[in-house]
Amino acid sequence: MSDALHDPGTGTPGPPATPVLSATGLTVRFGGRPALADVSLDFPRGRIVALIGPSGSGKTTLLRALCRMNELIPAAVTTGSVRFEGAELYAPEVDPAEVRRRIGVVLRESALFPGSIFHNVAFGPRASGFAGDLHALAEEVLAAVGLWAEVGGDLDLPASALSAGQRRRLCIARTLAVRPRVLLLDEPASALDPVAAARIESLIHSLAGDVAVVVATSDLRLAARVSDVTAHLDRGELVECGPTGTVFTNPRSKRTEAYLTGRIP
Amino acid sequence: MTPLATRDLLGTACRLGAALTLTAAIALLGVLLVQALGVVDVGFLAGAPSRFASRAGVGPAIAGTLWLAVLTAALSFPVGIGAAVYFEEYAPRNRLAGLAGSALANMAGVPPVVFGVAGLALFVRGMGLGPTILAAGLTLAMLALPTVLVTSRTALREVPRGVRDAASALGATRWQVIRRQVLPAAGPGIVTGLTLALTRTVGAAAPLLVLGAPAFVTHAPRTPGDILTALPTQAFTWSTRTEADFAALAAGTAVTLLVLLLTVNLGALVLRRRLR
Ligand SMILES: Nc1ncnc2c1ncn2[C@@H]1O[C@H](COP(=O)(O)OP(=O)(O)OP(=O)(O)O)[C@@H](O)[C@H]1O
Ligand SMILES: [Mg+2]
Repeated sequence: MSDALHDPGTGTPGPPATPVLSATGLTVRFGGRPALADVSLDFPRGRIVALIGPSGSGKTTLLRALCRMNELIPAAVTTGSVRFEGAELYAPEVDPAEVRRRIGVVLRESALFPGSIFHNVAFGPRASGFAGDLHALAEEVLAAVGLWAEVGGDLDLPASALSAGQRRRLCIARTLAVRPRVLLLDEPASALDPVAAARIESLIHSLAGDVAVVVATSDLRLAARVSDVTAHLDRGELVECGPTGTVFTNPRSKRTEAYLTGRIP
Repeated sequence: MTPLATRDLLGTACRLGAALTLTAAIALLGVLLVQALGVVDVGFLAGAPSRFASRAGVGPAIAGTLWLAVLTAALSFPVGIGAAVYFEEYAPRNRLAGLAGSALANMAGVPPVVFGVAGLALFVRGMGLGPTILAAGLTLAMLALPTVLVTSRTALREVPRGVRDAASALGATRWQVIRRQVLPAAGPGIVTGLTLALTRTVGAAAPLLVLGAPAFVTHAPRTPGDILTALPTQAFTWSTRTEADFAALAAGTAVTLLVLLLTVNLGALVLRRRLR
């Protein structure tokens, strides 16, 4: 394990003005044209950032780059820098597993593990050598996503017995169980009915503050409602980034305006 | 002929094929069982080979085959599963690794007798083990290895990408992902492959005959260093005798082998249920 990332729990927190996570000149290639091109973006502490942009614009690629998940794809080449609490995540001595414990990601295609709800929640903490009470931890994170009451406190319930919306929240809960400082969510409310989507939305609101949240979504209404800051990506480039209200009502860039109004450039 | 009539004809042909297959299987088992009926009893299972058909038994051969099964499993399972994990999870995705992988996979199609010849040169003569249980166990392990590798690789490959991604995203190291999620998920499939490899291998007579399994062994092997005897070679030996009594002994030996292999399959079934 690496000491290059100091523990935010015991270490000195930076001044509130400094971002918790900060990407500089981040570029990702899967062989050809960059999927993410020279993106520099700050993620403020405890706030919600929405990444918007058309399909293929690099939202997922950026999320994966922020937690070093792209290196699991053999073809991916990443350059540039990501700093977390001041430490360079792409430094050679940094253990990617350690990075992923600090910066948790829920990918759209991430699967639940076969087995019980408990098994799903306990996997992450166990992998990082958690020595405390796993049942108490499971209750805490399941309550945080509103699942504890819904399953009647039954941790042995098979995860496959849950509805689609509940599964999505279980994915978030098991990520929270690792106690990340930043939570990355890829299309968190896609393909859910309006009620389930609304629950996810209020969950995101309730989580922010303790953690910084980054939501990649092609659902503009979700982005507008849920986020403090919005970043617009197009063809791997960062087109515009600013306070959500400003970006949505008065975008600086013509490309952003065109995207928001549904005009094809 | 109208297309419909052609389809009818094909359907009839398929049904005929199914009926023939079933008939062949029943005939095979029936002939064996009828012949073996008067032979297989406690004396036969516990006794040793004899010049007199009425006194002959397969005790040493059963012990030999059990030894071979244990040795084959102990040698080929960990190595084969380990190699499968390496090729699927660690090996670089380049042409060399691909070539090595498919060369090993093709070994699964090499006839058992070839392994016998190699084992004779390598273990019986080269290492000077002689025609022992150990030499045969090593040879059968080599025979089982490609099948273990291929089936385990397939089982590992079928574990969904999302499971690996999710486990990595939760901060698990590469080894933790494999050990805690990928291997358990692939478990039932791996067990199926191991069963196939073991039953095919332990039932083969050719490699053991090539190694020089003696025709007449009256003492059950107690250690791997003891002289080789096994059910398939015992069945072969008795089948070469012309007297009808010995043909029945061969059938009895074959049925004993079948029951042993069936037990392995049943055990695998239970294990798969547990793993799921
Ligand atoms: N594993 C991969 N291998 C090769 N190319 C990839 C891979 N993953 C993404 N890409 C490419 O990178 C680009 C950006 O993809 P990405 O998934 O980040 O877009 P996205 O904005 O998340 O799109 P969507 O809204 O459809 O999820 C696309 O051109 C895609 O083809
Ligand atoms: Mg995406």
